[in-house]
Amino acid sequence: MIRFLRGAAVPVALLIAWEIYARTGIAPRYVVAPTEVVKTLWAMTLNGSIFKHTGRSIERATVGFAVGAFFGTLAGLTAGVLKPVENFYDPIISLTYPVPKIALLPLIFTWFGIGDTAKFVIIIMAVFYPTFIASFYGAKSVERVLIWSARNMGASRWQVFRRVVVPAAMPQVFNGLRVGLALSLIIMVTSELIAANEGLGYLIGAAQESLRFDIMYVALLIIGLLGFGADRLMRIARRKLLVGQTLGSEAGNG
Amino acid sequence: MPFLEIDHLVKEFTRKERVIRAIDGIDLMVKEGEFVSIVGPSGCGKTTLLHMLAGFVPVDQGALRLDGKPILGPGPDRGVIFQEYALFPWRTAHGNVMWPLEIKGVPKAEREATADRYLDLVHLEGFRDHYPAELSGGMKQRVALARILVLDPRILLMDEPFGALDSQTRELMQEELLEIWGKTGKTVIFITHDIDEAIYLSDRVVVMTARPGKVKEDFRVDLPRPRRLDIKKTPEYAAYRNKVWDLLHVEVIAARAQTPDGRA
Amino acid sequence: MTPFPSKLRDFLAHWYSVPLLLACWEIVSHSGWVQPRLVPSLMLIGQIFWRDLLSGVLIHHTTVTLYRALGGFLMAVVAGCTLGAAMARNRTIDALFEPIFSFGFPIPRIALYPVFIFIFGLGDASKIALVFLEGMFVITLHTYQGIRAVPNTMVWAGSSMGANSRQLFWRVLLPAALPMIFTGFRIALPVALIIVVSTEIIGESVGLGYYIQFASASFDDAKSLAGIAAVAIIGFALDRALIWLRNRAVFWQPEAVALG
Repeated sequence: MIRFLRGAAVPVALLIAWEIYARTGIAPRYVVAPTEVVKTLWAMTLNGSIFKHTGRSIERATVGFAVGAFFGTLAGLTAGVLKPVENFYDPIISLTYPVPKIALLPLIFTWFGIGDTAKFVIIIMAVFYPTFIASFYGAKSVERVLIWSARNMGASRWQVFRRVVVPAAMPQVFNGLRVGLALSLIIMVTSELIAANEGLGYLIGAAQESLRFDIMYVALLIIGLLGFGADRLMRIARRKLLVGQTLGSEAGNG
Repeated sequence: MPFLEIDHLVKEFTRKERVIRAIDGIDLMVKEGEFVSIVGPSGCGKTTLLHMLAGFVPVDQGALRLDGKPILGPGPDRGVIFQEYALFPWRTAHGNVMWPLEIKGVPKAEREATADRYLDLVHLEGFRDHYPAELSGGMKQRVALARILVLDPRILLMDEPFGALDSQTRELMQEELLEIWGKTGKTVIFITHDIDEAIYLSDRVVVMTARPGKVKEDFRVDLPRPRRLDIKKTPEYAAYRNKVWDLLHVEVIAARAQTPDGRA
Repeated sequence: MTPFPSKLRDFLAHWYSVPLLLACWEIVSHSGWVQPRLVPSLMLIGQIFWRDLLSGVLIHHTTVTLYRALGGFLMAVVAGCTLGAAMARNRTIDALFEPIFSFGFPIPRIALYPVFIFIFGLGDASKIALVFLEGMFVITLHTYQGIRAVPNTMVWAGSSMGANSRQLFWRVLLPAALPMIFTGFRIALPVALIIVVSTEIIGESVGLGYYIQFASASFDDAKSLAGIAAVAIIGFALDRALIWLRNRAVFWQPEAVALG
């Protein structure tokens, strides 16, 4: 409890200082009092507009994340056990991994138009990399003795993959999913900032143009909550699904 | 006056809001130059005892004195050897042995030469510029030994130092430790769960009880020195061995019945 | 078996997918299935890249992008290492800052960019500030965790050999945490480039992100791809440079390879 209070000390102090500063009248316009932001949030909840934008954003991020993570994990696990698959992906991934995928965004807009398809494509691409790499290394670093002992107990190659490699790689797969989830939100916001007519990123951009800073902070708050909530969900899923592999070591951040 | 004095020592830990007594009143006197082994079942608090002697863990009740002065924290008068070696992986064997001399502020030329001399003592002169990752377990422990001896500590505190080695290497290391002990005459406190190791090396063996740890038996090993490995074939040795085995077996059974939580 | 052809065969077996993909691209470009303007031939992209490289246009934009990315990154290195180390060594600082980092970590900070524009203006400062913030999170957390993960015995060994707390920090904790700290750098540096390019796409009149965005907006996909190639080369080169540095700084550990 005391630890919690100390942990909340800095953020709470900052909020109060912010509130006071905003109310003095000497602050620039973009410093909006937190209480004003809450008021705007309440108004947007009542007229439902916040749900519309949040819903669109969540849709883009989850669809993009789900598709990208599915293919990334599948390809990564297969590449981890099958040499020809590894040979196909390895040079492509190692050449393009350090390249910021976001640079493709304007190009993808010219290919698919500025609608949702382009946003899905770029999120899928961005999520593919971390999920591929994590599950690839996860599958590749499964201890030999585990595979040998499964073979010794009569498991077929498919059974070894399904019942030994996949579960053993799971902690790493989850690390990849976590990074991918964070990325999908980042790309979602960025692509909506660049071109959209609905969604939280759009809301920030539009609020910026009309100098409605209160709306801007509302959107920021929601994006922050989404990021935080998604990460917590992922952690809970990880703890529930990987009981034996996470005992004694709560996953840190990063 | 005793050299090392353990005076009614008590240690408790709090785990999940339960107080667990790890050490329950240990009294022990050690003379200068004596080689004392402490054996006991897992979780009996023997490693905790060593950590308190080293000054890493504070004393709850009782007192520890070295040469009449209370032990209050870590210090270079007590050299500690860990089972995990605790070598610095970014330094060569020679660099590791030089490390404490740098801390002490010894001039460069002198510490280079001193470190070389101590690498010779542990027969590692040929591995001077190897990194720990390039050394075998036995070699790593010899580097750790040289790194400790270079400070000329008054006492060596060894925590299952050969526990991670294979049995052949372990016997060689035991023989080498006795040789170094013979040359330097250091007082040694040696924690182990290996009965043979304790008898072969020591002047005295202290058997501890299962948790909470107390001294169950403390006796002298009157085997002639210098000892060679073939001493293990003599009936006198076998008698000591059987004695410790009987003492320890009861405690191992008792320890097995305990719950695993709160083990120090 | 002579060594040379077998080497060549190994090389092909390992690298065949790259030329394969490029060939597919070229076939699509010439096939007439799509407008060649959308999938321009590699030759055309190369020509434009070469032209803008020689005229200095690409170099100009690259310099700006690099200045922003590296400027923010280096500031994040200094601040992140200091704060991470302070958190790991001091209970009060830890209690005050750790929640900000563990709670704030999963929040997409790029959304703050519009706010930063108002505080720092449209130019370099807002982008450097965002790179700094993003890099700071990663580097602080890695430094913190790296120092916290140093085995007790290693610290004990140091203190029993007479090291004081300053010596323990510089001669035990810091080198022992260095591999982890470098892992943080390797995550933060590509992120720095991503942030700069994204913000340049959102609103700027200079930098590689702007170059790509402007070309795409004028439906000049070949030029856009030339810009993407420039970003790719920088991203690749920065990562390799960091690996090189890491393998020298953390020489006692197995070498880092190109992938995370």
